[in-house]
Amino acid sequence: MTRHLLKLIWNRKRSNALMILEICVSFLVVFMVATLGLFFLDNYRLPLGFEWRNVWDVRIGMGRNEANAGDAAAQQAFLARLIQEVRSLEPVEAVAGSYVVPFDQGGWEGTYKVRGRSVETGVDRATVGLDKALRLRLVAGRWFEEPDAAQSWEPVVIDQDLARVVYGAADPVGKALFDPRPEERQFRVVGVVSDFRKGGELLPKGNFLFRFASLDHPQGQSFRNLLVRVRPGTRAVFEEALVKRMQEVAPDWSFEVRPLPQVRATAFRFLLTPLIVAGTVAFFLLLMVGLGLIGVLWQNLLQRTREIGLRRAAGASRASVHRQVLLEQIVLTSLGVLLGTLLVIQVPILHLIGVLSPGVFTAGLLAAMAAMYLLSVLCALYPSSLASRVQPAEALRYE
Amino acid sequence: MIKNYLKVALKVLSRRKFFTFISLFGIGVTLMVLLVATALLDYVFAARTPEVHADRMLGVYQLTMQGKDDTETAPPGYAFLDRYVRPMAKLPSVERVALVTGSQTVVSYLDGRKIQSELRRADGEFWRVLAFDFVEGGPYTVADDEAGHFLAVISETTRDRFFGGQAAVGKTIEVDGQRFRVVGVVRDVPVLRYSSSADLWVPVTTAKTSAYKEEWLSGFYALILARSRADLPQIKAEFQSRLREAERHLPDPKTFQHLYTGADTLFEGVARMFLPAGKAVANPGARLRAVLLALMLGFMLLPTINLVNINLSRILDRASEIGVRRAFGASSRTLVGQFLIENLVLTLIGAAIGLVLALGVLHGFNVSGLIPQAHFALNFRIFFYGLAIAVFFGLFSGVYPAWRMSKLRPVQALRGRSA
Repeated sequence: MTRHLLKLIWNRKRSNALMILEICVSFLVVFMVATLGLFFLDNYRLPLGFEWRNVWDVRIGMGRNEANAGDAAAQQAFLARLIQEVRSLEPVEAVAGSYVVPFDQGGWEGTYKVRGRSVETGVDRATVGLDKALRLRLVAGRWFEEPDAAQSWEPVVIDQDLARVVYGAADPVGKALFDPRPEERQFRVVGVVSDFRKGGELLPKGNFLFRFASLDHPQGQSFRNLLVRVRPGTRAVFEEALVKRMQEVAPDWSFEVRPLPQVRATAFRFLLTPLIVAGTVAFFLLLMVGLGLIGVLWQNLLQRTREIGLRRAAGASRASVHRQVLLEQIVLTSLGVLLGTLLVIQVPILHLIGVLSPGVFTAGLLAAMAAMYLLSVLCALYPSSLASRVQPAEALRYE
Repeated sequence: MIKNYLKVALKVLSRRKFFTFISLFGIGVTLMVLLVATALLDYVFAARTPEVHADRMLGVYQLTMQGKDDTETAPPGYAFLDRYVRPMAKLPSVERVALVTGSQTVVSYLDGRKIQSELRRADGEFWRVLAFDFVEGGPYTVADDEAGHFLAVISETTRDRFFGGQAAVGKTIEVDGQRFRVVGVVRDVPVLRYSSSADLWVPVTTAKTSAYKEEWLSGFYALILARSRADLPQIKAEFQSRLREAERHLPDPKTFQHLYTGADTLFEGVARMFLPAGKAVANPGARLRAVLLALMLGFMLLPTINLVNINLSRILDRASEIGVRRAFGASSRTLVGQFLIENLVLTLIGAAIGLVLALGVLHGFNVSGLIPQAHFALNFRIFFYGLAIAVFFGLFSGVYPAWRMSKLRPVQALRGRSA
């Protein structure tokens, strides 16, 4: 049966080739959109590692500070005072300094060596108390404490992903992290938090490393943000009081308060807008292709009236004609989908996109396949029912 | 002859209504998407208020400092621009040079309400390089900027937010803990205008600290207004030689030894942001243009295949007509010409539908406020682009079917069968 169908298709190879090409390209379009959507969906179900409700980010603008160490020390003193002042305000539950803001675009990526192998990780520099401000979940060890700054090693807190990559199943607490680098103190793990996904729910999980920003011993890149956890129900009016208080401490600096829910909404919009636009465009493309398929199939079947009439005259039932048309369409679709799959498979083979997990990739393929079969069968239904209504006598007379 | 073709074309279209509908739907939607995309690009890059002189304006929008281990890319700093770009105003081919910062979100609290505004700090020349639409008052001057006066030009939206739409000139506005006296109100500038959009503009010298004066990388742009369009290449070359000069006076020669950037049109400036930093790129605009063209062709691929497919089916439908014409001696070329014209007619009707759809979508954008303060509209230029795209699309999707059609053998065609 299949061989016979293939032969029929081969006989009309030129017009069928175009149809296969059309199905193949549509398949690619659906695959891209579906995979992007599934990628977000897959990420969304994983735990975030922190709590963003009732957290406000205060972005501190202090001009650039390539200045000398004296200035850096003065700056640090201001920051320490700011944190102290903010903590003393009534609606504030916890406050900490952080270089990185969850959900915010941009960030800090570091590359380190583990036994000679490169490991990439997101990095933050945070003060004492960030675990409280973001409600990080410690699974081993502890968060930073101020005396850590005086050690001969640099204290770090890592997330479970990074712990898995570096130590496997072993307990990381108290161990050295990464191969030693000259001019830098050796990192030593003091705590492990559950997977921390700085990028938010839609982005894939990855390694994360917290370095310590001591308020007593300034060093290296300073933080530019305060993350403030306010009591539930605190109103936006408090923002004004917060900013006023900080401006009193550091009149030369700028402060911008952004509640994390707002930062999160912006990030979501930034990531989802392309998906929505692509989805809408893809929908119209598919509608166009669907209508086109109906038209072309209809026309093709009209030309095959004689052939179909002959089959009917020779005793084929309407259902069997119906089935033949649908099966032909399914075989055509399979060829298009096969071609598309062969193209798409190149992506993981050539390592074009690293972040795509095999599960999401496969699901995207299956979704695109399902969509194409559904589309072409739906489009074949009406023309094939027309074809099966052909009266044998009329068809044979037809010239 | 052409008139005849047109008649036939319209007759054919009205004969098979379903096919005509499918074709027009496809063409209309395709051209609608392309028109909307064109309108958005036009909105970002074309000359319009306040960048009315965009065609003879260059900008320095970013600067890359490169050393052995580190590469840093950011908008240039005041120190670099003040020393090496501002003096270019003395060149005979340059009319003016203005410095302006990128926009920064600042917060005000008014009667317990929080107001977020975008703020830019700009020098006095800024107001003469760009042509803002003042609805009230006027700009501050170069002297105001040098003297560090706390003056502000605000947008209409800002006036509505702070003063409830009443006259604002002479009143005081407080943002980010600083107080400014309003000297002018301008019509809103949408956020898509890269070097001018903001809610309020204040003098550079009102910055909270003077640290910016020593910085080479920090959020400033330079806008260079040439006397004529023809001078642009020469100004670009002059800028490069000044960049080489600046390389010899870098503030931290141990870390960074090289500088890369260019005096760019806005389009080139945006293109440069997508290119790998730390390389001298002669013509960044060409790459972005190639990418946009590739995107357009990629998007048109599926509609084209679809239309070719439908066209082929229609042709077979008309096999006997073609057979008669061939039997009476019409050459292949005549038939190809006829069919291309028919397809063009179809595409242009589709384009008209696309235009109407695009108007609807753009209106939707404007009403929904998806992009703040943007008022998209179709103008003559976009219409012209759209027409060019439609003609291209018509030819592109018509060539193969036309060729197939001309290859029909008269005998078989007369019998009503495909070759």
